[in-house]
Amino acid sequence: MHNSEPALSVVAPLYNESQNVRPLVEWILQALESYPRSFEIILVDDGSRDGTWGEVRAAATDPRVRGLRLGANVGQTAAMMAGFDNAQGAVIVSLDGDLQNDPRDIPALVAKLDEGYDLVCGWRQQRQDKLLLRKVPSWLANRLIRRLTGVQITDNGCSLKAYRRDLLSRISLYAEQHRFIPALSASVGARITEMPVRHHARRFGESKYGISRTLKVLVDLITLKMITTFRSRPLLGFGMAAIPAVMIALAFGSVWLFSLTHFGPEKAAALVFPGAGLLALGVAFYLFMLGLVAEVALNSERGDANDIPNAWEVR
Amino acid sequence: MSAQGTLMEPTSDTANAVTAAGGRLTSVVIPVVERADDLLSVYHAFARELDARPEEYEFLFIFDGRFVPPAELVKLAQENASVRLLRFARPFGETAALRLGIEKSRGDVILTLPAYFQVEPEGIRLLLEAVSAGADMVVASRSPRLDSWLNRLQSRAFQGIVGGVSEQRFHDMACGVRAMRRNVAEELPLYGDLHRFIPALALREGFRVEEVSVPQHPSDARTRVYGPGVYLRRLLDIGAFFFLAKFTEKPLRFFGLVGSVFLGAGTVLSAVLLIQRVDGQGIANRPALLLAVLFLALGVQLMGLGLVGEIIVHLRSPHRRAYRVRERA
Repeated sequence: MHNSEPALSVVAPLYNESQNVRPLVEWILQALESYPRSFEIILVDDGSRDGTWGEVRAAATDPRVRGLRLGANVGQTAAMMAGFDNAQGAVIVSLDGDLQNDPRDIPALVAKLDEGYDLVCGWRQQRQDKLLLRKVPSWLANRLIRRLTGVQITDNGCSLKAYRRDLLSRISLYAEQHRFIPALSASVGARITEMPVRHHARRFGESKYGISRTLKVLVDLITLKMITTFRSRPLLGFGMAAIPAVMIALAFGSVWLFSLTHFGPEKAAALVFPGAGLLALGVAFYLFMLGLVAEVALNSERGDANDIPNAWEVR
Repeated sequence: MSAQGTLMEPTSDTANAVTAAGGRLTSVVIPVVERADDLLSVYHAFARELDARPEEYEFLFIFDGRFVPPAELVKLAQENASVRLLRFARPFGETAALRLGIEKSRGDVILTLPAYFQVEPEGIRLLLEAVSAGADMVVASRSPRLDSWLNRLQSRAFQGIVGGVSEQRFHDMACGVRAMRRNVAEELPLYGDLHRFIPALALREGFRVEEVSVPQHPSDARTRVYGPGVYLRRLLDIGAFFFLAKFTEKPLRFFGLVGSVFLGAGTVLSAVLLIQRVDGQGIANRPALLLAVLFLALGVQLMGLGLVGEIIVHLRSPHRRAYRVRERA
């Protein structure tokens, strides 16, 4: 009944989720029972050590289910990329492998995508997670991401998203960037929207997140800001960062000149102010040079098809 | 390959005949660097073991810089097409020698051996069997160790530091006896002095790495003490590996961490000085202000470096795949 190219690919990364595989697949199949077009489910086993792969293989006896087993545990972002790279559908939906997302939301997400979007993000309603460890940090992180990137998506951390294949071929995710998919998509000119989705408490297995990631998210945000704003002109970014350093240098310099003219040479003989001023000037110079290095790096990558991300076919 | 080697072999046509004769081919890659026993006896001892196996085999000796191929070996290579000698014009080190050997070899399984007797020759059977059984890479672990306590302590320390980064513990990472499939060998990021970390690198690339115990050769058991320069280089290697393993995808996490320590120290010191100045104490003639500005400057520089690293990683990301698919269903 299903021909070679499915219209929809559902991608679920799994890490030590052996108990969740079977219910997840059943749930997705049930949710897509009346879906009019053909679909496939891609289960990505991210180097699990608990028998997840055996469950995936058992599930893959259904022709609509495909399994990928990664050689090592590479993290959620890379596992999702593995699924995306192997997905055949023109529309791709990602969701968590822990049953916290509800597959019954998939048809609605895809319908929304068909209204003319490239990315539809789920927005978890009545989130069923621990307040202090999960919800508060997530709320803060989302506010910060919105503030810094200007992309108005309420829930960046929700894995339930629908993508047009066209978009996924334009962004390459690495490290832990799955959180920044909306911002990265916006930076290549995608049309983005969000819609409310259901959220359930974890039934089996353990959460793979901890509080320590909050700090990492902060650092990653700096990177994201730099990359999305200055990806084609890093010298400008570094040059702007050098401005405060120049101003500090000028301030120290003028304090020194002032004391030289007003208090006489014996008091101004101390080298601290001019020294501090020169250090600040050194920083400015250094940042400028770093900006040049970044330009060199950028230039050496030019001429690459990946470098023209901003033309979209008008539909 | 930046380090170009000269192929000292009559014609490549005769060597190709090896593959044409039988199906599978094992390439033995022997880098001749630092230490070498009588190479002819090394060849005969290991060739005897390989004769017992069904696969064809070839030997590649890579001579680094100051090592000159002995006359008997050159004669052997001229007579026997399955022995090939390669030579670097300058010393490039073991990692480069291994890469050259891998590149010039033709086998579907590659066995690396040191140029001296590190393990008993019959040990390589275990390695080759494990590769046929499905492992991507099999490394030998010398056991029982016959070395002096000093050498064992050295390798314990090395193992301990590296073990903290790697997902799987290896008991004898420094052992040069390893068997691997060709695709594994070709995908290893081998440069600098990273050959010491080959099992950990393969593991990181998502390959299946196994370890088998192989009896140590008695002649390998002499006590070796190295100069301080060697230890310093080893330490830097470990540092490089550590950084590679943890931060290649996210350099700013490393530079940002160190940088924010400096920024924090600079900010605190500046604040203290500001309070003192408001309080009426002069700060113009005290070096503390210089220190505060120096800290801030260092912090900014480290952050900047990390950002440049991030830009490079970002630019490279479309060319790089962070995962390897081991199996499909």
